[in-house]
Amino acid sequence: MKKLSSIIAGGLAIGLTISAQAGTLEDVKKRGTLSCGVSTGLAGFSQKDEKGVWSGLDVDVCRSVAAAVLGDASKVQYKPLTAKERFTALQSGEIDILSRNTTWTHTRDTSLGLNFAGVIYYDGTGFMVSKKLGVKSATELDGANACIQAGTSTELAIADYFRENKMNYKAVTFDTSDQTRTGFESGRCDFLVSDQSQLYALRIGLKDPSAAVVLPEVISKEPLGPVVRQNDDVWFNIVKWVVNASIEGEFQNVTSANAKDLRKNGNPGQKRLLGSEGDLGEKLGLSADWAYQAITQVGNYSESFERNVGQDSPLKISRGLNAQWNKGGILYSPAMR
Amino acid sequence: MFYQKTIEQIKTDTRPSSAGAKAFYNNPKYRGWIYQSLLLIFLIAFFYSIISNTLSNMAAQGIKSGFGFMTTSAGFDVLMSLIPFETTDSYTKVFIIGILNTILVSIIGVICSTMLGFIFGIAYFSRNWLIKKISIIYVETFRNIPVILQVLFWYTAVLTTLPSTRDSLSIGEAFFLNIRGLYIPRLIDEPKSFVVYIAIVIAIVAIFFLRRWARKRQDLTGEQFPLIWSSLGILLGLPLLALFIAGVPFHFEYPELKGFNFQGGINVIPELMALAIAMSIYTGAFIAEAVRAGIQSVPHGQTEAARSIGLKERKIMSLIIVPQAMRVITPMLNSEYQSLVKNTTIATAIGYPELFTVFAGSALNQVGQAIEMMFMSLAIYFALNMMISFIMNQFNKRVAITTR
Amino acid sequence: MPIKEFKPLPAQPAPVSTTGPIAWLKNNLFSSPFNIVATLLILSGLFLILPGLIDWLFISANWTGTTQDACVDDGACWVFIRAWSQQIFYGSYPSGELWRVNLCLFLLAVVIYLSFILPINLRNKVAIPAFLALPFVCLLFLDGRYLGLEYVNTDYWGGFSLNILLAAASIIIAFPFGFLWALGRRSNLPFAQSVSVICIEFFRGTPVLALFFMGSVMLPLFFPEGVTVDKLLRVWIILILFMSAYMAEVFRSGFQAIPNGQYEAADSIGLGYWQKTFFIIFPQVIKVSMPNILATFIMVFKNTVFLLVIAVPEILQVILGALTNSKWLGGHATEGFLFVALVFWACCYSMSMLSTSIEKKLDTSHKH
Repeated sequence: MKKLSSIIAGGLAIGLTISAQAGTLEDVKKRGTLSCGVSTGLAGFSQKDEKGVWSGLDVDVCRSVAAAVLGDASKVQYKPLTAKERFTALQSGEIDILSRNTTWTHTRDTSLGLNFAGVIYYDGTGFMVSKKLGVKSATELDGANACIQAGTSTELAIADYFRENKMNYKAVTFDTSDQTRTGFESGRCDFLVSDQSQLYALRIGLKDPSAAVVLPEVISKEPLGPVVRQNDDVWFNIVKWVVNASIEGEFQNVTSANAKDLRKNGNPGQKRLLGSEGDLGEKLGLSADWAYQAITQVGNYSESFERNVGQDSPLKISRGLNAQWNKGGILYSPAMR
Repeated sequence: MFYQKTIEQIKTDTRPSSAGAKAFYNNPKYRGWIYQSLLLIFLIAFFYSIISNTLSNMAAQGIKSGFGFMTTSAGFDVLMSLIPFETTDSYTKVFIIGILNTILVSIIGVICSTMLGFIFGIAYFSRNWLIKKISIIYVETFRNIPVILQVLFWYTAVLTTLPSTRDSLSIGEAFFLNIRGLYIPRLIDEPKSFVVYIAIVIAIVAIFFLRRWARKRQDLTGEQFPLIWSSLGILLGLPLLALFIAGVPFHFEYPELKGFNFQGGINVIPELMALAIAMSIYTGAFIAEAVRAGIQSVPHGQTEAARSIGLKERKIMSLIIVPQAMRVITPMLNSEYQSLVKNTTIATAIGYPELFTVFAGSALNQVGQAIEMMFMSLAIYFALNMMISFIMNQFNKRVAITTR
Repeated sequence: MPIKEFKPLPAQPAPVSTTGPIAWLKNNLFSSPFNIVATLLILSGLFLILPGLIDWLFISANWTGTTQDACVDDGACWVFIRAWSQQIFYGSYPSGELWRVNLCLFLLAVVIYLSFILPINLRNKVAIPAFLALPFVCLLFLDGRYLGLEYVNTDYWGGFSLNILLAAASIIIAFPFGFLWALGRRSNLPFAQSVSVICIEFFRGTPVLALFFMGSVMLPLFFPEGVTVDKLLRVWIILILFMSAYMAEVFRSGFQAIPNGQYEAADSIGLGYWQKTFFIIFPQVIKVSMPNILATFIMVFKNTVFLLVIAVPEILQVILGALTNSKWLGGHATEGFLFVALVFWACCYSMSMLSTSIEKKLDTSHKH
């Protein structure tokens, strides 16, 4: 009986974690892994392959942070979360960082006890229609049926848009984005509304991708970024500057291939970023090579973008707004000095 | 052997200590009270810690509480509602729409699953080998596959087989069937229509009295009255008569293809169809199994006795076997209906806007007050299940054996 | 006078019209006009559906390959299932450590087998503790930290093995709870009784989807600040409570099946309440409830699929995740769902067969 009860006690202890609330950085260092909340499956942003390996733009944020803090991008514990449970998971301390295509909104930033640590993808709600309909603009969609994923900010954005333009629509809501595509393809609805980044993924999944067009209208702002708990400025700074480092890395032409070389022979800006000059890492409470580790192991923003959603991926999304500020986009990292 | 040992022990334990047996803690009554007060203390401590933890967590995380959200505007559209709805309407209205849609699909599901269940349950006893096998295959297939997969399957099946809006199947330009659902003409009242409604009420009352008379006559003389056919005649005949006397005080609003969709008429959406089909087939399989068990519980002698007094096979089923089987079937029906209502929650997988999808789903996502909204939804499911339980218990009293 | 010996004539063969395949057809398929119509309708329906289905499922299906590009034919793309098979059965559990999952499944099978073959006097002493210890032993093995094995976080557990182990672990722990609640419901103590009734009715009346959702979103709020409880453990707690309510009702009907004489006999030899309950009533209740217990297990097993609404990587969630992978965007939902349906059907059907055979065995022992 004693054995039985000790087995039971041991078993229960496995599930319980009592965090000391010392600060996320210490917790992560002590644990040796970063606990990262991601989406259950979102093409190009967070997806698992047949081997169980996670990849994607959202996932790369976690990998970069792990590389910067722990020196190893693979030391990430991925926790797939649904849209409903994502904030609870962060608030209760189950995850250290939430990187789950979460839109930065005023309400979320101010009333949920959270902080947004930057923007990694400027998205917007867009429309996809069948070419057969001959629709050129979203204003011609009066009275049409819309396929929408339930529980997203898209649901509200489209209601606003149609009310503003004094048009009617019928919302056919689905639980997953895969089902919205099935609904659209079968003709259950006339158009599909979703974040633009997802429209491309959904379009590839169609039996005949060329039969659908993405309309030019973007009806809402959806800046997506990683989220951390409020009142932990040390951790907030780390995540914020890891995101910035990858953007700055692209701007300074530092890639995973040439970082080792530039660390020795680069210009002062590159050297500061890579930690061979200055003390940027120390000020964050990290080692000097924090950004160097992140960039060599994960790559700069451009590499991550092209690999996951851009030209090297099946999605083939163009940079658009997500290009550097000097190349027609709005990506701009604050100064690294 | 094992038991004997313990009994020996007890004997030796209890015999000498007759004084101890009188101690208050050995009195079952006091002991019961001690157990109960321990339980009470435990429960108070348990709920106190949960509530205080929740309150402090909510305060720390800045989660609002209260029911203020019920009056704020929802801001999203609902696919189907039995009452008029605008995106600017409040969450209270979303809540009501959810309840109504849940009730609608539950009622359809209960009716269809009962029919399917009885058909396949009785089919198990068919002398046709194919029919019997199909009944078995039906039960064993649909009972053993998770219902969520069945819902997804039927939804895909419905969506892929129905034609697009422009190639709608139609009957006389009044009924249309396409991927957006089934469109049927809507009946619109004219001033004199009340005559017809009164006729319907009269017909129902008349049938009630006819039944009483027919039963009394059967008790007295043994003659049977063709009750079903005559009731049907009254139910259809009287209103029809009234319809022509009043000069057909109705007109139809026909669905018409305007722009992307059909406008007007009543639209039965494919999500509702798929969910109703899945619910009916899944629950029907369980009911079929219950019906089979019920019929098997009736002794074979009953059939033989019925045959020996010259009843026809079909009458044996409907007059002798099924009424007796109902005693076994009814309690099972009760629990199957209740699980049907609970299972409607998986509509969230295909987006039929029932309570769980639209209120504990979409609305909850926007408002974020999980505790209030979950408990509101749960209360509705409890109420619905209690209603079913109440009705089925009344029914059970009627079919139960009356012991004299 | 010699007795004339009675010599029966050799038996005549049955008339041709009552034996042989034609007679079988006549009796079983075409015995009445109604049956003729029904048979023809069913057969024509089968002829309409089956050829296309078989073609899609087998003949023009794609069987070999490792990527989506291997699916060139019109039929089903079984490559999808093949490529994802490890994920589907084991989730992301490390490939080198899969023996631990297999060991747990094996232990589960052994314990179930033991409880059938052990002699009756050992059964309660060995099988019950073995059953109760099993979930925790498995937990220790799968986690690995305390056994000096590689630590595998619960986030990596998944796939169909998770469905099985979670369902089994829940029903095992729900046994004592359910029994306690059933006792409470039958007891004469008014307060204990009402608490049991509330517990049972709450967990039976709540849709399981809502329960899971509460487990994922509301349960974290119930714990003190700074304490985080693993998601799988929360799910497990919810499943145990849910199962306990159903098991309590199973046991209650089991109690009702025990003849009153058993209680009276136990009272008459001076057994106390707990002795009476555990040594006399409990073994009998377990025996008569066996088919219902299995039915309840099938129910919870099917319900584990609902865990996908809270992103637990069980089998269907793995499929849904795979469908959104950018290398597999070809729309393989039908194949995935069909496969999951098949796996569940095979398991549940064999269990319901087992339950029927137990029922038959029990039936004979009670017939006079």
